[in-house]
Amino acid sequence: MIRFEKVTKTYANEDALHNLDLSISAGELFVLVGPSGSGKTTLLKMINRLVVPTSGKVTIDDENVADMNLEELRRHTGYVLQAGALFPNMTVEQNAAIQLEALGWPEPKRHARILELLKRVDLAPELFLQRKPSELSGGEAQRVGIVRALASNPNLVLMDEPFSALDPLSKRQLQALVLELHRELKTTFVFVTHDMREAIRLADRLAVIHNGELQQLGKPADILADPANEFVRDFFDDPVARQRFLKQVIDSGFGRSISVDDQYVALKGSDTIFQWAALVQQTATQNIRVGNRLLEPVDLIDYMATLK
Amino acid sequence: MFTGIKTYINTNSHEILLSLLQHIEISVIAAIITIIIAIPLAVVLLNHRRAGEFVLQVASVIQTIPSLAILGLLIPFVGIGTIPAIIALVLYALMPIFSNTYAGLTNIDPLLLEAADALGVSKRYKLFRIQFPLAMPLILSGIRIGVVMIIGTATLAALIGGGGLGTYILLGIQSNNNAALLVGAVLAAILALVASWLIKILAHISFKKLGIGVIVLAILGTGFYGVRSLITPKTETITVAGKMGGEPEILINLYKDVIEQDDPNINVVVKRNFGGTSFLFKALASKKIQIYPEFTGTVLTSLVKTKSGINHDPVKAYHTAKTAIATQHKMTFLRPMKYQNGYGMTVTKATAEKYHLKTISDLAAHPEFTAGYDPDFYQQEDGYPGLKKAYGLNFTKVRTMEPSLRYQALAAGKLQVADAYTTDPEIKKYGLVLLRDNKRFFPPYQGGPLMLTSFANTHPSVQKSLNKLAGKISTSDMQEMNYKVTVQHQKAAVVAKEYLKTHHLLKK
Repeated sequence: MIRFEKVTKTYANEDALHNLDLSISAGELFVLVGPSGSGKTTLLKMINRLVVPTSGKVTIDDENVADMNLEELRRHTGYVLQAGALFPNMTVEQNAAIQLEALGWPEPKRHARILELLKRVDLAPELFLQRKPSELSGGEAQRVGIVRALASNPNLVLMDEPFSALDPLSKRQLQALVLELHRELKTTFVFVTHDMREAIRLADRLAVIHNGELQQLGKPADILADPANEFVRDFFDDPVARQRFLKQVIDSGFGRSISVDDQYVALKGSDTIFQWAALVQQTATQNIRVGNRLLEPVDLIDYMATLK
Repeated sequence: MFTGIKTYINTNSHEILLSLLQHIEISVIAAIITIIIAIPLAVVLLNHRRAGEFVLQVASVIQTIPSLAILGLLIPFVGIGTIPAIIALVLYALMPIFSNTYAGLTNIDPLLLEAADALGVSKRYKLFRIQFPLAMPLILSGIRIGVVMIIGTATLAALIGGGGLGTYILLGIQSNNNAALLVGAVLAAILALVASWLIKILAHISFKKLGIGVIVLAILGTGFYGVRSLITPKTETITVAGKMGGEPEILINLYKDVIEQDDPNINVVVKRNFGGTSFLFKALASKKIQIYPEFTGTVLTSLVKTKSGINHDPVKAYHTAKTAIATQHKMTFLRPMKYQNGYGMTVTKATAEKYHLKTISDLAAHPEFTAGYDPDFYQQEDGYPGLKKAYGLNFTKVRTMEPSLRYQALAAGKLQVADAYTTDPEIKKYGLVLLRDNKRFFPPYQGGPLMLTSFANTHPSVQKSLNKLAGKISTSDMQEMNYKVTVQHQKAAVVAKEYLKTHHLLKK
């Protein structure tokens, strides 16, 4: 359980975070979402003390992170950065094993652990172990980044905009991988993104941050059903996207054909994304019919995740 | 030209090799010291950006000071020889190595540094496994620039007795010997290229291997010096230095041979082309060297203050010089050799016979002659202006020209009379005649060993050995030897030995 208590961070007399309270439950996939400059990354970096709050405190299991041994804290916390942030002078194996080396694991044990994890993220060890980061695609580099973060069996994994530089296809594959890994490991994941579709797709719960303040906290469906204020509404409901939304979802090949007689809720092209989300929740079948196409909720979300 | 260089290299191969090794030694020491200072400094200042920028500014300011000025500034503090040369080289190379290391370390992608911090690696791990390897290409190119600069600037070490390839460049410029100049310059250039290439290769070796290599080199280096100092017999070493040119080199070799023959426990190190008069004099006073050959005329005109005018009798001149330098500088000036190396007036044999010229007075009757002078001689009071008054000379045409050219002009008949140094080998080469200074206008220039009185008192055997040369070596002997060394490019050491053997001063 991670708790932020009255956390304020001031840079050059300007508050990046203002008197913010937030708690993240153990085992949760928690997403911090907001536009750039909102303070979400600052919040994430306070957890492993890359940033120290100007006032207030951050606790993990009721222990103030300011009192923890810094190296211990960081060595047992997984960290995934933008585009992998792999060290270009080291091989994939050396990169992935960096925390294990710091923790003093013997070489054979390190090797076995990296081997196991590379297989888990679908990178053939014999092909990838000795490669340099320059020989990896963006998606492959970020898979290695994830292996590096998970290597030490951390109780907590922090991810700072890990997929923002990836192409839509790699992004979807990696989002799926994160969901799978979280389900298997049951570890706390804190994920920062500026992409609201990514937030909706991944989050158990998400926090919308704007101007250093918490705007709304809740499950994706709750937030979509009941946006707390104008900012949250605008953030998730891009009017241009909405106008072309259904046409695009169907043109992209989502959903399946049905006969006209089947009973499904109809969705109007002019409705907002929140109304669609409410419909999805209300209907027992949780399916949406548009003309002769049937869309499932996952189609909408998957489609949204492909949008930039 | 090419064969000239070839003969020069053949006759001097051993000395050239020694100079090359000395050049490498100075450069390597300077490079290592610079690296040891610059890289840790950059690491320390990495977390103090303001101080880092300040050091960067200071280093670039040092860079703009001419290297000669730095050498000059250092002499009062650290003296002469290799140490000030190395200090100057270090100051020079500091800038490229420091600035590149600093730039390399500060320009690392901040995302990577954040990753290293976030993963909880130790500071040492971060520095040696992440920051240094990532900055290495820039650091190595800085080292490359620095080393090339060191090798180039190290040629200036010769100016302050530091040795190295610069000796040949300096010698070449001062004695108009293009072969020597080319040998020094080309070898220095090749050395710089080779070093640059070696460092380029280092860029492809891993950081770990590089570290091991440096340690191995350091151990080998210390071992080399250790062994060398152990196997060197514990004898006393006396340094005998000479001014620029072939003649002083012959003299110091004569000194070396007679001293070492009489006392096998003394090891004489000769430093040829060591510098000008005032430089050698300071080196002697500060005990950097123990002996150097000096001239009576120079002692009287430049080194001591005399109340009366200069006595033109050689014996009296020597005694005045000896007494004055003993009281004013606590130095002992041993008895000089026979020959005189001073100004003289010279004409070709044909001119001498045609006009029956024997003395300088005889020239007064020939105002129609064209005279050629060294620019110094033309201006100095003890040169032509004084001579003109003393002998009533009145040449209608007087030209000043490069010293070496006036002999050629004389031989070609463009000049009828010229000034000369009495032992110049060209006198023999062109078959010239020196006119007698019958009014004893020119101060006597007789060469004798100069040393500190404290040294002379503790080394009576050295004095005794050197005194064997007193009164020996006539002007024509000296011309002959100078001819062999400067014109025929024979080795000074060989020529000196040959002379001592034929005159039974050295046992065979």
